[in-house]
Amino acid sequence: MSTGPSLDVLLGANLGACCASPYDSAAVRWLLGDELHPGGAALTRRLARLAGLEARASVLDVASGWGRTARLLAFELGAEVTGVERSAQSLAAARADADAAGLGRRVRFVPGDAAALPVPSRAFDAVVCECALCLFPAKPAALAEMRRVLRPGGVVAIADVTAEVAALPAALRGAAARVACIAEALPADRYEALLDDAGFALRVAESHDGALAALAERVEYRLRVARMLDATGDFADAIAEATELTREARRATAAGSLGYRLFVAARGP
Amino acid sequence: MEAGIRPPSHDSVFLELTRSICPDCRRLLEAEVHARGGKVYLRKHCPDHGEFEALAYGDAERYVEIQRYNKPGDRPLQLQTEVAEGCPRDCGICPEHKQHTCLGIIEVNTGCNLDCPICFAESGTGHQPDGYSLTLAQVEEMLDAFVAAEGEPEAIQLSGGEPSIHPQILDMLVAAKRRGIKLVMLNTNGIRLARDPRFAPALAEIGVHVYLQFDGFKDSTQLAIRGRRLQEEKQRALDRCAAAGVGVSLAAAVERGINDDEVGAIVRLGVGHPAVSGVFFQPVTHSGRFLEFDPRERLTNSDVIDAIARQLPGWFRHDDFVPVPCCSPTCRSATYALYDGDDLVPLPRVVDVDDYLDYVTNRAVPDFEVRTALEGLFSAAAAGGTERTGERLECVACGVGLPTELRQVAAKGFMVVIQDFQDPYTLDVRKLRKCCVAEIVPDGRLIPFCAYNSVGYREQVRAELSAAQNNGAG
Repeated sequence: MSTGPSLDVLLGANLGACCASPYDSAAVRWLLGDELHPGGAALTRRLARLAGLEARASVLDVASGWGRTARLLAFELGAEVTGVERSAQSLAAARADADAAGLGRRVRFVPGDAAALPVPSRAFDAVVCECALCLFPAKPAALAEMRRVLRPGGVVAIADVTAEVAALPAALRGAAARVACIAEALPADRYEALLDDAGFALRVAESHDGALAALAERVEYRLRVARMLDATGDFADAIAEATELTREARRATAAGSLGYRLFVAARGP
Repeated sequence: MEAGIRPPSHDSVFLELTRSICPDCRRLLEAEVHARGGKVYLRKHCPDHGEFEALAYGDAERYVEIQRYNKPGDRPLQLQTEVAEGCPRDCGICPEHKQHTCLGIIEVNTGCNLDCPICFAESGTGHQPDGYSLTLAQVEEMLDAFVAAEGEPEAIQLSGGEPSIHPQILDMLVAAKRRGIKLVMLNTNGIRLARDPRFAPALAEIGVHVYLQFDGFKDSTQLAIRGRRLQEEKQRALDRCAAAGVGVSLAAAVERGINDDEVGAIVRLGVGHPAVSGVFFQPVTHSGRFLEFDPRERLTNSDVIDAIARQLPGWFRHDDFVPVPCCSPTCRSATYALYDGDDLVPLPRVVDVDDYLDYVTNRAVPDFEVRTALEGLFSAAAAGGTERTGERLECVACGVGLPTELRQVAAKGFMVVIQDFQDPYTLDVRKLRKCCVAEIVPDGRLIPFCAYNSVGYREQVRAELSAAQNNGAG
């Protein structure tokens, strides 16, 4: 019999959905990998292209995490990127990596919350928010803030999990599902309605459900490696539970009740 | 639309213009690389011997796609030759070469205890009027030349002939170790390991990694490739290595229609055997002695990868195999599998290797330390189960957020490599100039392996050495 910690405890998911700290957890990093969002760098590039980001564009990355997207946009597109992030630990890591990459002058990170962005109004050409809007409890407030900081004609580029939550199995609505961006996710048309309500005109919506399925698959392989490391079987229950979660996620993705989507919308005048 | 007269179309896509040789007279020829029917072919025309076409890569899409894994090469500390006649006549290493040497090979003799129907080195038993056996002093000079060129060489392989029958082979291996070469390998058919109970413990004491010829299990495979049944001796050699604590990589020469149906079984044996930490598959090189074959139907890396994926569907799929960036990416592909005696997970399923090893696109590298470690893992100088491989796997694991305890599993990180060496039919100087496997010859030159086997260097060196030895003896 395993007496090890539950999956919720391991993931820090009991800390609550509104808290960014689960993403500092070693267990989460180990499971989700170093990108934390489906599609990895390739989908970040796709999002930047759809948004028409150009060299020297000033970009705000909301919930910038470990700063990978910010570094990519600065290095590959030559954008000037400001990342906003709640977790002090993630901020420190993001700053250190940007400095190490020699991007210290084009990338900066500031502590702050999506509901009250610590930046001036009408200051950015684009706002990027990858796999994070689904986590915000007050989505209309976050979108209103994004609109405030964009100059007229600026664009918001969002990548997010879409979910028909009512159609999901119970396992995908539990506490652990919050970390996997599922529990607070919305159906695609609800995001579009929220964007419309916030004064954005939708330009592109593009489905990438395959990226979500691929991430779930990668997590499943990482769980298999975790099982190899867990020689004593202390974590057997948590690993089994997490494995079942990834399988449910893949089934739900195949059934169309779970997905991943890119949205690009322009701020009205 | 009225029907008009249209000029006839070519039946293939002309991808590259390069240089090769005539397989009959070895003269230099212009050569064209074409994609046709989803495969890649090398074509050339000799004014005396006519048209030649050979399969260069079995999957055209992958051939084009993996070019971005082409890492900029490093310069060696020392060059041995100058540019005179042009590539591939000035080996080596000449200033036109694009890469240093990851793996050096010294063939210590031409004598062997087998007479294989397939042997690019044309070795054999019995008296060889044109054979040679190097002295310890010669091998030491060659090792010194390697150290002078590389500073701290990564890997050396003592080969032959059959190096284990050289009376001073242990001294030669010690000489390589003493020079600080990180991975010292003995390329052997295993007969001495099987017969001489003191040999494996002696290798263990020196710290040698064994590169063991192992072509398959079927009698028909062994008879076709080696000329006699060897299964019992191979098994005994492996068990002796396990008992002595000697690490082994299995090396299989793979020929279409002979043993390409056994690649899965060879991997399975390797994964299950305590001594074995990796398998190297080498499509047969059609130079020296080889069986009758059609160069357009030969095996290439993508064909071997297909066979592995088909024969071990529960373990591997195509995208588990990473093009090795230090050489030309179509020459070598490799993967590592984490294995605990029960489950097996290929490393690329848990790490997005592609994000780190794209050298052509102007991309943000997520983490340079991880890239360096991956470059060390996916290199011609790497072997499974070694301490350096364990360290690099640990670095990758740590860099992408995997727990460092992974090292315990990584120590069993099983390596599968597919290496397509070129022969006179497939020689392409564009690939050759990036080659990082070199034959070290007694005058101190480091001759890229595929040039050595194809262009005529092997014959020259062998003639010079045997003449010198015969004169010395007389």
